[in-house]
Amino acid sequence: MKTLKAFPSIFRIAKHTLSDEVRQKSFVIMFVICAICIVLIRGCYQGNYVVNGQYLDAGTVVSALSKVTFHIIGAGVMIIAALLSMRIFRRDRNEGIQSCILSKAIARWQYVTGKIIGIWVLSVLFMFILHGIVFLITSINLNAFMPEYLVASLLCSINLLFVVIAVLLLSLLMPDIVAFLCVLGVGIVSFVADGIAAVSHTPMAQAMMQQSGAHPQVELTWWKVVYYFWPKLSGVQHSASSLIGSDLFPGFGLLYPIINVLLYCLILGGLLFLRFRKIDIV
Amino acid sequence: MIELTTTTKRYGSLTAVDNVSFSVKPGECFALLGPNGAGKTTIVKMLLDFTRPTSGSVSVSGIPSTDAVSRASIGYLAENHRIPASLSGWQYLLRCAELLDIKRSDAVDQCRRIVELIGMQGREYTKVGTYSKGMIQRFGLGAALIGEPKLLLLDEPTAGLDPIGIREIRQLLESLKNEGMTIFLNSHLLSEVEKICDTVAIINRGSLLVKDAISAIVKDGDTLEDVFVRLVKG
Repeated sequence: MKTLKAFPSIFRIAKHTLSDEVRQKSFVIMFVICAICIVLIRGCYQGNYVVNGQYLDAGTVVSALSKVTFHIIGAGVMIIAALLSMRIFRRDRNEGIQSCILSKAIARWQYVTGKIIGIWVLSVLFMFILHGIVFLITSINLNAFMPEYLVASLLCSINLLFVVIAVLLLSLLMPDIVAFLCVLGVGIVSFVADGIAAVSHTPMAQAMMQQSGAHPQVELTWWKVVYYFWPKLSGVQHSASSLIGSDLFPGFGLLYPIINVLLYCLILGGLLFLRFRKIDIV
Repeated sequence: MIELTTTTKRYGSLTAVDNVSFSVKPGECFALLGPNGAGKTTIVKMLLDFTRPTSGSVSVSGIPSTDAVSRASIGYLAENHRIPASLSGWQYLLRCAELLDIKRSDAVDQCRRIVELIGMQGREYTKVGTYSKGMIQRFGLGAALIGEPKLLLLDEPTAGLDPIGIREIRQLLESLKNEGMTIFLNSHLLSEVEKICDTVAIINRGSLLVKDAISAIVKDGDTLEDVFVRLVKG
Protein backbone atom coordinates (compact mmCIF):
# COMPACT_ATOMS: atom_id res chain seq x y z
CA MET A 1 0.00 0.00 0.00
CA LYS A 2 2.84 2.32 0.99
CA THR A 3 4.62 1.47 -2.26
CA LEU A 4 1.50 2.24 -4.30
CA LYS A 5 1.27 5.66 -2.66
CA ALA A 6 4.89 6.27 -3.65
CA PHE A 7 4.23 5.96 -7.38
CA PRO A 8 2.65 9.40 -8.03
CA SER A 9 5.76 11.10 -6.59
CA ILE A 10 8.03 8.89 -8.70
CA PHE A 11 6.13 9.71 -11.88
CA ARG A 12 6.15 13.43 -11.09
CA ILE A 13 9.92 13.38 -10.58
CA ALA A 14 10.27 11.41 -13.83
CA LYS A 15 8.08 13.93 -15.63
CA HIS A 16 10.09 16.88 -14.31
CA THR A 17 13.36 15.15 -15.23
CA LEU A 18 12.10 14.58 -18.74
CA SER A 19 10.89 18.15 -19.20
CA ASP A 20 14.12 19.58 -17.70
CA GLU A 21 16.21 17.57 -20.16
CA VAL A 22 14.08 18.51 -23.16
CA ARG A 23 14.51 22.18 -22.19
CA GLN A 24 18.30 21.85 -22.50
CA LYS A 25 19.66 23.35 -25.72
CA SER A 26 22.32 20.61 -25.94
CA PHE A 27 19.61 17.95 -25.99
CA VAL A 28 17.62 19.67 -28.70
CA ILE A 29 20.76 20.13 -30.84
CA MET A 30 21.75 16.45 -30.39
CA PHE A 31 18.28 15.31 -31.37
CA VAL A 32 18.04 17.54 -34.43
CA ILE A 33 21.50 16.46 -35.69
CA CYS A 34 20.66 12.76 -35.24
CA ALA A 35 17.28 13.14 -36.97
CA ILE A 36 18.87 15.03 -39.91
CA CYS A 37 21.57 12.34 -40.28
CA ILE A 38 18.92 9.60 -40.42
CA VAL A 39 16.82 11.53 -42.94
CA LEU A 40 19.89 12.22 -45.11
CA ILE A 41 20.50 8.50 -45.66
CA ARG A 42 17.06 8.06 -47.21
CA GLY A 43 18.73 8.04 -50.64
CA CYS A 44 20.28 4.65 -49.76
CA TYR A 45 16.81 3.10 -49.71
CA GLN A 46 16.24 3.28 -53.45
CA GLY A 47 15.77 -0.42 -54.16
CA ASN A 48 17.60 -0.24 -57.48
CA TYR A 49 20.99 -1.65 -56.52
CA VAL A 50 22.77 -3.81 -59.07
CA VAL A 51 25.24 -6.42 -57.85
CA ASN A 52 27.09 -8.56 -60.45
CA GLY A 53 24.65 -7.39 -63.09
CA GLN A 54 21.63 -8.50 -61.08
CA TYR A 55 19.01 -6.20 -59.58
CA LEU A 56 18.48 -6.63 -55.84
CA ASP A 57 14.89 -6.79 -54.72
CA ALA A 58 13.56 -4.26 -52.21
CA GLY A 59 13.34 -6.90 -49.46
CA THR A 60 17.07 -7.61 -49.58
CA VAL A 61 17.95 -3.93 -49.55
CA VAL A 62 15.59 -3.18 -46.70
CA SER A 63 16.77 -6.09 -44.62
CA ALA A 64 20.47 -5.31 -44.97
CA LEU A 65 20.30 -1.54 -44.67
CA SER A 66 17.73 -1.48 -41.93
CA LYS A 67 19.87 -3.76 -39.80
CA VAL A 68 22.90 -1.55 -40.25
CA THR A 69 20.99 1.61 -39.32
CA PHE A 70 19.29 -0.27 -36.47
CA HIS A 71 22.65 -1.10 -34.89
CA ILE A 72 24.09 2.37 -35.50
CA ILE A 73 21.09 4.07 -33.92
CA GLY A 74 21.04 1.59 -31.01
CA ALA A 75 24.72 2.14 -30.22
CA GLY A 76 24.52 5.91 -30.81
CA VAL A 77 21.58 6.40 -28.46
CA MET A 78 23.41 4.39 -25.79
CA ILE A 79 26.16 7.03 -25.92
CA ILE A 80 23.56 9.81 -25.78
CA ALA A 81 21.81 8.12 -22.81
CA ALA A 82 25.18 7.98 -21.03
CA LEU A 83 25.79 11.67 -21.78
CA LEU A 84 22.35 12.61 -20.44
CA SER A 85 22.74 10.51 -17.28
CA MET A 86 26.25 11.53 -16.31
CA ARG A 87 25.34 15.06 -15.21
CA ILE A 88 21.91 14.44 -13.70
CA PHE A 89 22.85 14.27 -10.02
CA ARG A 90 25.38 17.09 -10.28
CA ARG A 91 22.94 19.40 -12.03
CA ASP A 92 20.18 18.60 -9.55
CA ARG A 93 22.58 19.41 -6.72
CA ASN A 94 23.78 22.66 -8.30
CA GLU A 95 20.32 23.89 -9.22
CA GLY A 96 18.82 23.05 -5.81
CA ILE A 97 16.40 20.47 -7.25
CA GLN A 98 17.74 17.68 -5.05
CA SER A 99 17.25 19.60 -1.80
CA CYS A 100 13.88 20.90 -3.01
CA ILE A 101 12.55 17.40 -3.69
CA LEU A 102 14.09 15.67 -0.70
CA SER A 103 12.93 18.34 1.76
CA LYS A 104 9.41 17.10 1.05
CA ALA A 105 7.89 13.78 2.14
CA ILE A 106 9.69 12.00 -0.67
CA ALA A 107 12.11 9.20 0.11
CA ARG A 108 15.47 8.95 -1.54
CA TRP A 109 14.56 5.73 -3.38
CA GLN A 110 11.58 7.52 -4.91
CA TYR A 111 13.84 10.33 -6.11
CA VAL A 112 16.37 7.94 -7.64
CA THR A 113 13.65 5.80 -9.26
CA GLY A 114 12.06 8.93 -10.72
CA LYS A 115 15.39 10.03 -12.16
CA ILE A 116 16.09 6.60 -13.69
CA ILE A 117 12.61 6.42 -15.25
CA GLY A 118 12.79 10.00 -16.55
CA ILE A 119 16.13 9.60 -18.33
CA TRP A 120 15.31 6.08 -19.51
CA VAL A 121 11.96 7.08 -21.02
CA LEU A 122 13.58 10.06 -22.72
CA SER A 123 16.34 7.88 -24.20
CA VAL A 124 13.83 5.25 -25.33
CA LEU A 125 11.71 7.94 -27.01
CA PHE A 126 14.83 9.36 -28.63
CA MET A 127 15.78 5.96 -30.05
CA PHE A 128 12.22 5.05 -30.98
CA ILE A 129 11.76 8.27 -32.97
CA LEU A 130 15.02 7.70 -34.88
CA HIS A 131 14.05 4.08 -35.59
CA GLY A 132 10.60 5.35 -36.49
CA ILE A 133 12.13 7.65 -39.12
CA VAL A 134 13.92 4.65 -40.68
CA PHE A 135 10.65 2.69 -40.54
CA LEU A 136 8.84 5.51 -42.34
CA ILE A 137 11.56 5.86 -44.98
CA THR A 138 11.50 2.13 -45.80
CA SER A 139 7.70 2.14 -45.79
CA ILE A 140 7.45 5.11 -48.16
CA ASN A 141 10.47 4.48 -50.44
CA LEU A 142 10.19 0.72 -50.78
CA ASN A 143 6.65 -0.11 -49.70
CA ALA A 144 8.20 -2.52 -47.20
CA PHE A 145 6.37 -2.43 -43.86
CA MET A 146 8.41 -3.77 -40.97
CA PRO A 147 6.52 -3.42 -37.70
CA GLU A 148 9.05 -5.83 -36.16
CA TYR A 149 11.61 -3.01 -36.59
CA LEU A 150 9.79 -0.95 -33.98
CA VAL A 151 9.39 -3.98 -31.67
CA ALA A 152 13.14 -4.56 -31.96
CA SER A 153 13.69 -0.91 -31.05
CA LEU A 154 11.69 -1.36 -27.86
CA LEU A 155 13.68 -4.48 -27.00
CA CYS A 156 16.87 -2.42 -27.25
CA SER A 157 15.55 -0.17 -24.50
CA ILE A 158 16.94 -2.74 -22.02
CA ASN A 159 20.42 -1.60 -23.05
CA LEU A 160 19.48 2.02 -22.37
CA LEU A 161 18.23 1.09 -18.89
CA PHE A 162 21.58 -0.53 -18.17
CA VAL A 163 23.49 2.52 -19.42
CA VAL A 164 21.37 4.96 -17.38
CA ILE A 165 21.67 2.98 -14.13
CA ALA A 166 25.38 2.27 -14.60
CA VAL A 167 26.27 5.91 -15.33
CA LEU A 168 24.13 7.21 -12.44
CA LEU A 169 25.82 4.78 -10.04
CA LEU A 170 29.33 5.52 -11.26
CA SER A 171 28.71 9.29 -11.22
CA LEU A 172 28.22 8.97 -7.44
CA LEU A 173 31.60 7.29 -7.09
CA MET A 174 33.80 9.18 -9.56
CA PRO A 175 33.88 12.31 -11.73
CA ASP A 176 31.03 12.41 -14.26
CA ILE A 177 33.25 12.18 -17.32
CA VAL A 178 35.08 9.14 -15.92
CA ALA A 179 31.71 7.48 -15.21
CA PHE A 180 30.69 8.14 -18.82
CA LEU A 181 33.97 6.76 -20.19
CA CYS A 182 33.77 3.62 -17.99
CA VAL A 183 30.30 2.74 -19.31
CA LEU A 184 31.42 3.60 -22.84
CA GLY A 185 34.32 1.18 -22.29
CA VAL A 186 31.95 -1.57 -21.14
CA GLY A 187 29.91 -1.07 -24.31
CA ILE A 188 32.93 -1.03 -26.61
CA VAL A 189 34.34 -4.22 -25.04
CA SER A 190 30.94 -5.88 -25.46
CA PHE A 191 30.74 -4.99 -29.15
CA VAL A 192 34.38 -5.83 -29.91
CA ALA A 193 34.20 -9.15 -28.04
CA ASP A 194 31.03 -10.12 -29.87
CA GLY A 195 32.68 -9.12 -33.15
CA ILE A 196 35.66 -11.38 -32.41
CA ALA A 197 33.29 -14.18 -31.34
CA ALA A 198 31.34 -13.78 -34.58
CA VAL A 199 34.54 -14.03 -36.63
CA SER A 200 35.67 -17.09 -34.66
CA HIS A 201 32.41 -18.83 -35.57
CA THR A 202 32.98 -18.46 -39.32
CA PRO A 203 33.83 -21.72 -41.17
CA MET A 204 37.21 -20.30 -42.19
CA ALA A 205 38.21 -19.44 -38.63
CA GLN A 206 36.94 -22.82 -37.41
CA ALA A 207 39.02 -24.61 -40.05
CA MET A 208 42.11 -22.60 -39.15
CA MET A 209 41.72 -23.40 -35.47
CA GLN A 210 41.22 -27.09 -36.17
CA GLN A 211 44.38 -27.11 -38.29
CA SER A 212 46.35 -25.56 -35.44
CA GLY A 213 45.03 -28.28 -33.09
CA ALA A 214 42.94 -26.03 -30.86
CA HIS A 215 39.45 -27.08 -29.70
CA PRO A 216 37.75 -23.75 -29.25
CA GLN A 217 34.31 -25.14 -28.38
CA VAL A 218 35.58 -27.44 -25.61
CA GLU A 219 38.19 -25.44 -23.69
CA LEU A 220 36.90 -23.23 -20.90
CA THR A 221 39.35 -20.39 -20.48
CA TRP A 222 39.11 -17.43 -18.10
CA TRP A 223 38.49 -14.98 -20.92
CA LYS A 224 35.57 -17.12 -22.08
CA VAL A 225 34.05 -16.88 -18.61
CA VAL A 226 34.56 -13.10 -18.63
CA TYR A 227 33.07 -12.96 -22.11
CA TYR A 228 29.94 -14.84 -21.09
CA PHE A 229 29.42 -12.81 -17.91
CA TRP A 230 30.28 -9.43 -19.45
CA PRO A 231 27.22 -7.14 -19.94
CA LYS A 232 25.80 -8.36 -23.23
CA LEU A 233 24.90 -4.97 -24.71
CA SER A 234 25.86 -6.07 -28.20
CA GLY A 235 24.05 -9.38 -27.64
CA VAL A 236 20.79 -7.57 -26.81
CA GLN A 237 21.08 -5.58 -30.02
CA HIS A 238 21.67 -8.76 -32.01
CA SER A 239 18.75 -10.47 -30.28
CA ALA A 240 16.56 -7.49 -31.14
CA SER A 241 17.78 -7.30 -34.73
CA SER A 242 17.05 -11.02 -35.16
CA LEU A 243 13.40 -9.92 -35.12
CA ILE A 244 14.08 -7.90 -38.27
CA GLY A 245 15.92 -10.68 -40.09
CA SER A 246 15.99 -14.39 -39.29
CA ASP A 247 19.71 -14.76 -38.55
CA LEU A 248 20.65 -15.07 -34.88
CA PHE A 249 24.02 -14.12 -33.43
CA PRO A 250 26.15 -17.25 -33.05
CA GLY A 251 26.89 -18.48 -29.56
CA PHE A 252 23.86 -17.18 -27.67
CA GLY A 253 20.18 -17.81 -27.73
CA LEU A 254 17.70 -14.99 -28.04
CA LEU A 255 17.13 -14.75 -24.31
CA TYR A 256 20.56 -15.03 -22.67
CA PRO A 257 21.76 -11.48 -23.52
CA ILE A 258 18.45 -10.01 -22.36
CA ILE A 259 18.54 -11.89 -19.06
CA ASN A 260 22.22 -10.98 -18.64
CA VAL A 261 21.59 -7.23 -19.06
CA LEU A 262 18.42 -7.29 -16.93
CA LEU A 263 20.37 -8.98 -14.12
CA TYR A 264 23.03 -6.29 -14.37
CA CYS A 265 20.29 -3.65 -14.19
CA LEU A 266 18.97 -5.22 -10.99
CA ILE A 267 22.39 -5.50 -9.35
CA LEU A 268 23.56 -2.00 -10.36
CA GLY A 269 20.15 -0.54 -9.45
CA GLY A 270 20.40 -2.07 -5.97
CA LEU A 271 23.91 -0.66 -5.55
CA LEU A 272 22.71 2.76 -6.77
CA PHE A 273 19.94 2.88 -4.15
CA LEU A 274 22.34 1.78 -1.41
CA ARG A 275 24.96 4.34 -2.42
CA PHE A 276 22.49 7.21 -2.72
CA ARG A 277 21.08 6.46 0.75
CA LYS A 278 24.48 7.23 2.22
CA ILE A 279 25.36 10.48 0.49
CA ASP A 280 24.85 13.88 2.10
CA ILE A 281 22.44 16.23 0.35
CA VAL A 282 23.77 19.76 -0.12
CA MET B 1 7.59 19.58 17.26
CA ILE B 2 11.38 19.20 17.01
CA GLU B 3 13.47 17.03 19.29
CA LEU B 4 17.22 16.48 19.25
CA THR B 5 18.50 13.99 21.82
CA THR B 6 22.26 13.77 22.51
CA THR B 7 22.89 14.28 18.84
CA THR B 8 26.43 14.15 17.52
CA LYS B 9 27.62 14.50 13.94
CA ARG B 10 31.20 13.85 12.95
CA TYR B 11 32.84 14.28 9.54
CA GLY B 12 36.00 12.23 9.93
CA SER B 13 37.96 13.83 12.76
CA LEU B 14 35.82 16.99 12.73
CA THR B 15 32.92 17.13 15.18
CA ALA B 16 30.31 19.42 13.59
CA VAL B 17 27.64 18.84 16.27
CA ASP B 18 28.65 17.62 19.68
CA ASN B 19 26.10 15.94 21.95
CA VAL B 20 23.39 18.54 21.38
CA SER B 21 19.94 18.15 22.92
CA PHE B 22 17.05 20.58 22.68
CA SER B 23 13.41 20.70 21.68
CA VAL B 24 11.12 23.18 19.97
CA LYS B 25 7.45 23.30 20.94
CA PRO B 26 4.60 23.66 18.43
CA GLY B 27 3.81 27.31 17.70
CA GLU B 28 7.20 28.47 18.97
CA CYS B 29 9.40 30.84 17.01
CA PHE B 30 12.88 29.51 17.59
CA ALA B 31 16.24 30.82 16.43
CA LEU B 32 19.46 28.83 16.24
CA LEU B 33 22.39 31.21 16.49
CA GLY B 34 26.09 30.70 16.17
CA PRO B 35 29.17 31.93 14.31
CA ASN B 36 30.10 30.51 10.91
CA GLY B 37 30.95 26.82 11.12
CA ALA B 38 29.22 26.40 14.49
CA GLY B 39 27.06 23.52 13.21
CA LYS B 40 23.74 25.32 12.58
CA THR B 41 23.27 24.14 9.00
CA THR B 42 24.31 20.61 9.99
CA ILE B 43 21.47 20.56 12.53
CA VAL B 44 19.01 21.73 9.86
CA LYS B 45 20.33 19.05 7.50
CA MET B 46 19.82 16.40 10.17
CA LEU B 47 16.22 17.58 10.68
CA LEU B 48 15.63 17.00 6.95
CA ASP B 49 17.61 13.74 6.82
CA PHE B 50 20.02 15.34 4.35
CA THR B 51 22.71 13.95 6.61
CA ARG B 52 22.43 11.40 9.41
CA PRO B 53 23.69 11.87 12.96
CA THR B 54 26.69 9.80 14.01
CA SER B 55 24.91 9.18 17.30
CA GLY B 56 21.76 10.34 19.08
CA SER B 57 18.38 10.92 17.53
CA VAL B 58 16.48 13.63 15.69
CA SER B 59 12.70 13.71 15.34
CA VAL B 60 10.10 16.03 13.85
CA SER B 61 6.46 15.83 14.98
CA GLY B 62 7.40 12.73 16.96
CA ILE B 63 8.59 10.90 13.84
CA PRO B 64 12.29 10.05 13.38
CA SER B 65 13.79 12.35 10.75
CA THR B 66 14.99 9.29 8.82
CA ASP B 67 11.34 8.62 7.92
CA ALA B 68 10.28 10.70 4.89
CA VAL B 69 6.84 11.19 6.48
CA SER B 70 8.44 13.47 9.08
CA ARG B 71 9.01 16.02 6.31
CA ALA B 72 5.32 16.17 5.37
CA SER B 73 4.81 19.05 7.81
CA ILE B 74 7.99 20.97 6.93
CA GLY B 75 8.46 23.96 4.66
CA TYR B 76 12.17 24.49 4.01
CA LEU B 77 14.19 27.41 2.73
CA ALA B 78 17.85 26.61 2.12
CA GLU B 79 20.75 28.97 2.71
CA ASN B 80 21.61 30.50 -0.69
CA HIS B 81 18.49 29.04 -2.21
CA ARG B 82 18.83 27.93 -5.85
CA ILE B 83 16.19 27.53 -8.54
CA PRO B 84 16.76 26.06 -12.04
CA ALA B 85 17.47 29.01 -14.35
CA SER B 86 15.34 27.52 -17.12
CA LEU B 87 12.16 27.87 -15.04
CA SER B 88 10.15 30.96 -14.20
CA GLY B 89 9.33 31.68 -10.56
CA TRP B 90 5.72 30.71 -11.25
CA GLN B 91 6.72 27.36 -12.80
CA TYR B 92 8.94 26.69 -9.81
CA LEU B 93 6.15 27.31 -7.33
CA LEU B 94 3.75 25.13 -9.33
CA ARG B 95 6.32 22.37 -9.49
CA CYS B 96 6.77 22.49 -5.71
CA ALA B 97 2.98 22.32 -5.29
CA GLU B 98 2.83 19.34 -7.64
CA LEU B 99 5.49 17.54 -5.60
CA LEU B 100 3.28 18.06 -2.54
CA ASP B 101 0.38 16.35 -4.36
CA ILE B 102 -1.74 19.51 -4.42
CA LYS B 103 -4.51 19.56 -7.04
CA ARG B 104 -3.71 21.81 -10.02
CA SER B 105 -6.54 24.30 -9.44
CA ASP B 106 -5.72 24.58 -5.71
CA ALA B 107 -2.04 24.90 -6.56
CA VAL B 108 -2.69 27.81 -8.92
CA ASP B 109 -4.78 29.62 -6.26
CA GLN B 110 -2.17 28.98 -3.59
CA CYS B 111 0.74 30.07 -5.79
CA ARG B 112 -1.08 33.26 -6.76
CA ARG B 113 -1.59 34.08 -3.05
CA ILE B 114 2.04 33.31 -2.28
CA VAL B 115 3.37 35.47 -5.14
CA GLU B 116 1.42 38.35 -3.64
CA LEU B 117 2.67 37.51 -0.14
CA ILE B 118 6.33 37.56 -1.19
CA GLY B 119 5.80 40.74 -3.21
CA MET B 120 6.78 39.34 -6.59
CA GLN B 121 3.69 40.18 -8.66
CA GLY B 122 4.67 41.07 -12.22
CA ARG B 123 7.95 39.14 -12.08
CA GLU B 124 6.62 35.62 -11.57
CA TYR B 125 6.53 34.73 -15.28
CA THR B 126 10.08 35.81 -16.14
CA LYS B 127 12.90 33.27 -16.11
CA VAL B 128 14.76 32.74 -12.83
CA GLY B 129 18.01 33.44 -14.70
CA THR B 130 17.04 37.12 -14.73
CA TYR B 131 16.31 37.29 -10.96
CA SER B 132 18.53 38.88 -8.33
CA LYS B 133 19.69 36.86 -5.32
CA GLY B 134 17.04 38.53 -3.17
CA MET B 135 14.28 37.64 -5.63
CA ILE B 136 15.37 34.00 -5.69
CA GLN B 137 15.33 34.04 -1.90
CA ARG B 138 11.76 35.37 -1.93
CA PHE B 139 10.60 32.64 -4.30
CA GLY B 140 12.43 30.12 -2.10
CA LEU B 141 10.47 31.38 0.88
CA GLY B 142 7.29 31.23 -1.21
CA ALA B 143 8.04 27.60 -2.11
CA ALA B 144 8.53 26.82 1.58
CA LEU B 145 5.06 28.19 2.33
CA ILE B 146 3.27 26.01 -0.24
CA GLY B 147 1.03 23.39 1.34
CA GLU B 148 0.65 25.43 4.53
CA PRO B 149 3.34 23.58 6.51
CA LYS B 150 3.17 23.35 10.30
CA LEU B 151 6.90 23.90 10.65
CA LEU B 152 8.92 26.44 8.72
CA LEU B 153 12.64 25.66 8.59
CA LEU B 154 14.52 28.74 7.40
CA ASP B 155 18.27 28.77 6.89
CA GLU B 156 19.37 32.40 6.59
CA PRO B 157 16.07 33.59 5.06
CA THR B 158 17.19 37.21 4.71
CA ALA B 159 20.50 36.44 2.96
CA GLY B 160 20.82 38.66 -0.11
CA LEU B 161 17.84 40.85 0.73
CA ASP B 162 17.99 44.63 0.94
CA PRO B 163 16.82 46.39 4.15
CA ILE B 164 13.29 46.80 2.78
CA GLY B 165 13.19 43.12 1.81
CA ILE B 166 14.48 42.13 5.26
CA ARG B 167 11.73 44.17 6.87
CA GLU B 168 9.05 42.63 4.62
CA ILE B 169 10.25 39.11 5.40
CA ARG B 170 10.26 39.90 9.11
CA GLN B 171 6.68 41.16 8.90
CA LEU B 172 5.69 38.04 6.97
CA LEU B 173 7.29 35.78 9.57
CA GLU B 174 5.56 37.69 12.36
CA SER B 175 2.18 37.16 10.71
CA LEU B 176 2.93 33.45 10.21
CA LYS B 177 3.95 33.20 13.84
CA ASN B 178 0.67 34.82 14.88
CA GLU B 179 -1.16 32.20 12.81
CA GLY B 180 0.44 29.54 15.03
CA MET B 181 3.12 28.25 12.67
CA THR B 182 6.26 26.84 14.27
CA ILE B 183 9.31 28.67 12.94
CA PHE B 184 12.88 27.41 13.16
CA LEU B 185 15.26 30.13 12.10
CA ASN B 186 18.98 30.04 11.37
CA SER B 187 20.18 33.60 11.14
CA HIS B 188 23.07 35.96 11.63
CA LEU B 189 20.81 39.00 11.87
CA LEU B 190 20.52 39.13 15.65
CA SER B 191 18.44 42.32 15.67
CA GLU B 192 15.82 40.64 13.45
CA VAL B 193 15.86 37.48 15.56
CA GLU B 194 15.34 39.56 18.68
CA LYS B 195 12.26 41.13 17.11
CA ILE B 196 10.62 37.90 15.89
CA CYS B 197 11.68 34.96 18.04
CA ASP B 198 10.53 33.73 21.46
CA THR B 199 13.36 31.30 22.10
CA VAL B 200 16.99 31.11 21.02
CA ALA B 201 19.74 28.54 21.21
CA ILE B 202 23.36 29.56 20.77
CA ILE B 203 25.88 27.01 19.59
CA ASN B 204 29.60 27.29 19.07
CA ARG B 205 31.96 24.68 17.64
CA GLY B 206 29.12 22.17 17.66
CA SER B 207 28.30 22.54 21.37
CA LEU B 208 25.11 24.05 22.72
CA LEU B 209 25.98 27.04 24.93
CA VAL B 210 22.49 28.13 25.94
CA LYS B 211 18.86 27.53 25.04
CA ASP B 212 16.20 29.68 26.63
CA ALA B 213 13.54 32.34 26.08
CA ILE B 214 15.01 35.60 24.78
CA SER B 215 13.53 37.41 27.76
CA ALA B 216 15.48 35.11 30.10
CA ILE B 217 18.77 35.45 28.25
CA VAL B 218 18.77 39.18 27.47
CA LYS B 219 18.91 41.15 30.70
CA ASP B 220 18.13 44.86 31.09
CA GLY B 221 20.43 47.15 29.13
CA ASP B 222 21.83 44.29 27.06
CA THR B 223 21.02 43.27 23.51
CA LEU B 224 20.98 39.76 22.06
CA GLU B 225 24.15 40.71 20.21
CA ASP B 226 25.94 41.50 23.50
CA VAL B 227 24.90 38.15 24.96
CA PHE B 228 25.88 36.32 21.77
CA VAL B 229 29.36 37.88 21.63
CA ARG B 230 29.92 37.28 25.35
CA LEU B 231 28.96 33.61 25.11
CA VAL B 232 30.79 32.82 21.89
CA LYS B 233 33.99 34.64 22.84
CA GLY B 234 33.85 32.98 26.24
